[in-house]
Amino acid sequence: MTSLAEKTALITGSGDGMGRAHALLMAERGANIVVADINADNAQRTAEMVRKLGRRAHVEQVDMADTAGVKAMVERSSAALGPIHILVNNAGFGQRALLHEVTEEDFDRMFAVHVRGSFFATQAVLPAMKAARQGKIINIASIWGMTGAPVASHYCGAKAALLGLTKAWAKEFAPWNIHVNAVSPGGVRSGGPKKLDNAEQLRLKEEKVPLKRYCEPIEMSYAVAFLASSEADFITGQNLSPNGGEVIVGI
Amino acid sequence: MTDPTRLDGKIAWITGSGRGMGRAHAELMAARGADIVVHDVLQEEAEATATAVRALGRRAIVFHDSVADPEAMRKLVAETRSKLGIIDILVNNAGIGQHLTTEEITPEMFQRMFDIHVKGSFFCAQAVVPGMLEQRSGRIINNSSNWGMVAAPVCAHYCAAKAAVLGLSKAWAKEFAPYNILVNAICPGGVMTEMPIRVQGMEKIRAKEKLVPLGRWAAPEEISYAVAFLAAETGAFITGQSISPNGGETIVGF
Repeated sequence: MTSLAEKTALITGSGDGMGRAHALLMAERGANIVVADINADNAQRTAEMVRKLGRRAHVEQVDMADTAGVKAMVERSSAALGPIHILVNNAGFGQRALLHEVTEEDFDRMFAVHVRGSFFATQAVLPAMKAARQGKIINIASIWGMTGAPVASHYCGAKAALLGLTKAWAKEFAPWNIHVNAVSPGGVRSGGPKKLDNAEQLRLKEEKVPLKRYCEPIEMSYAVAFLASSEADFITGQNLSPNGGEVIVGI
Repeated sequence: MTDPTRLDGKIAWITGSGRGMGRAHAELMAARGADIVVHDVLQEEAEATATAVRALGRRAIVFHDSVADPEAMRKLVAETRSKLGIIDILVNNAGIGQHLTTEEITPEMFQRMFDIHVKGSFFCAQAVVPGMLEQRSGRIINNSSNWGMVAAPVCAHYCAAKAAVLGLSKAWAKEFAPYNILVNAICPGGVMTEMPIRVQGMEKIRAKEKLVPLGRWAAPEEISYAVAFLAAETGAFITGQSISPNGGETIVGF
């Protein structure tokens, strides 16, 4: 499968977990990858794996909360691998905290990484996409952005904001044939959940999913890579939620 | 790594596959390795689809019964089982369009609309599920519509039938998850097929395309890509959801 041949994909947070899985699947399908992560060592490792698949990789160490840094990252990446065709706003983190526990710093960091980071990464890739009159932007939201949860309201709010950006951008950029969609993962067996829950807690959570399991990161990548491909050229402003039936909402 | 988009060894039953989107689904899924149960009340069209499937090197069998005949659907599944094997994928695609105001819709029109879309989908699923339960795996993809999501100022019976199809999808996703049978919906926006061209006319369609943010309607195969994505390993963690390829015309819900 080389459905992404000759494309350049910038994937934020692709040093590990789902982001790395996206990078490897998209590389396998032919894309060159900008591996952006706050952790430079992890980013290097993903880049090496991309190169082993025969694709080019460019590494960027970046904190998505650093707006100037995000802009500079896109400039350097485009110089290294050419104009960005696909942007996956994937960088993120979870934090379990009740409303009264969330500090101003927690709140600002949560929205800075997920929302402001995605906003300005998109702003930075946009001129080249508009010039090319094509582009794919995929925002990684969450089922908790769709339904909320009894903990982590700042996380739920930030992920819901990403869904709002997705819908607005789909409308704003449609005249340039730039497609914007969201992927809202349910439970994924990646490093993030393992930091927040122990094995027994995770097992109990998997039992509550209708399909009785969390998914592997690559199962999320299938959705991202599909939306990034020309097979999804009539899909924009939508939200695809691989969640094992845990969240069935909306119409 | 095996290609997760492939459908090798799978048997897909696609209702309404004589032409339009159903034909496109059949051809794409056959190209990806599936054998196809071609099913359409239009006999010549169904035969033409079967010929296209066979030209791709896959097996095809053809049925013409109405989807609204539950007994015939049971027989279709049994005959398919003896000739090809157990059906892995059902695409409830058969449908009709009819642009009428509520005052114009007769009881017969109302009944036919719900018989084909809702009763048809229901009893096709009922017929196919026992085999899927045996295999502990299966995929059902129901063709709804963006008008099932947001409705339209004409054809309330169509909008309601397509909304009912979404209700079935969600309920079945929950009912059959324990058996690894995944159920999802596709909600196409404007698609350039024979049906809308006949019902609405090209002039009207060209005007409607201008109202779509992407400025066009889809080719039938652009809907097939979403169907095939859900039918393959790529959709293994997706159930109870809907994908709406609609060019940005309908952006709703979460």
